[in-house]
Amino acid sequence: MQILYLVLALFLLLNLGAGMWRVLRGPTAADRMLATQLFGTTAVAVLLLLAQAYGNPPLRDVALVFALLAAVTAVAFVRRAWPDQETGHDSE
Amino acid sequence: MEAVILLQWTFDTFLGLGLLWLAWRALACPDLFRAIVLFVAFGLLLAMAWVSLDAPDVALAEAAIGAGLTGALLLAALARLRSSETNVEVAGQPEKKGLKVRNPQWLPVVVLLPVAAGLGYVVLSLPPDAVGLSAQVAANLETGGVSNPVTAVLLNFRGYDTLLEMVVLLLALLGVWSLGGAALRREDAPGLVLDTLSRLLAPVLILVAGYLLWVGAHAPGGAFQAGSVLGAAGVLLLLAGWRLHAGLAALPLRLALVAGSGIFLAMAVFTLLMEGQLLKYPPAQAGILILVLETAATVSIGVTLAALFLGGRPPNKQDHR
Repeated sequence: MQILYLVLALFLLLNLGAGMWRVLRGPTAADRMLATQLFGTTAVAVLLLLAQAYGNPPLRDVALVFALLAAVTAVAFVRRAWPDQETGHDSE
Repeated sequence: MEAVILLQWTFDTFLGLGLLWLAWRALACPDLFRAIVLFVAFGLLLAMAWVSLDAPDVALAEAAIGAGLTGALLLAALARLRSSETNVEVAGQPEKKGLKVRNPQWLPVVVLLPVAAGLGYVVLSLPPDAVGLSAQVAANLETGGVSNPVTAVLLNFRGYDTLLEMVVLLLALLGVWSLGGAALRREDAPGLVLDTLSRLLAPVLILVAGYLLWVGAHAPGGAFQAGSVLGAAGVLLLLAGWRLHAGLAALPLRLALVAGSGIFLAMAVFTLLMEGQLLKYPPAQAGILILVLETAATVSIGVTLAALFLGGRPPNKQDHR
């Protein structure tokens, strides 16, 4: 079972690499921001898998904090950085 | 068993490479917004790296501060930068201008080489098999009042470090406030989505802050993590347009800001008088004393972080006269 959890965690980590493509390409600021939001979700899943794999329950708290605070970053983006970029692509 | 070790190695390798690559991209990126996004992603991977190093306490702090609050703070700072420099709108222009006035490129290298050499020397001069202090901490844990060794070190054995860190945070806020009359931004009325989100999320954030504070006594958690989650609740409310009532902005806000450092200092003086040593708690009461200190510290850290996000001294009644 531990091997399955670690394989899944590794798979999700490689998925982050795919998401990185969207962060780099954009083209809009929102694309980049949403990609990091996806990173946050993936990180939550990885941490939950690692918590099971290593039998280390405190890692679930780390995942909980990630899940809660990702929303705050998203709100900060929408309220502060979004209107400047709404019309088109950010400086490419 | 070998498969598990191989998987861990692969995971750690990809994690390490990803971290290095993200760090390089975040530093090399000319666009500030993109650098912030990369920095947030870097924080996420860094927290996972701390997990891989079996340091869940640090991972929790990194998750709360690095990936969570710093992103919001940097985005707000970027918005303020953009509103103060109108020429930033011209794409590609500012970087080119910046390059011309920048110091010659070899200058940082000259400065950084001695630093790197010094750091290298320090690392090389470390004893080859460092025992660390973990054995000492484990031996004294029963007099520490808490069963989580990290909390015991932070709040008891090395309490003065934490006391000074609290003061550092306060100084940072004083620095921001002393920059003076930064125009406080009026938020647009929140839409239905944000309104609902903040109503649902803020109580959960406060609840989780309380949980992290309490769990810190025997598992990863504690005042700094709890304080930053509490600060995130404040940031969320500020973004949704909530402002501190002017009557509370004068004395009550300041009391909340200094509560952590103040109670910590009072405790230091008290233990110095009673026990003859700074922050040496009587073992029987250590647990409750640490909880009191941590609660005050959590409130102060949370309020300080939210106030830092606001970025200027909130107006109070006297300003209206």
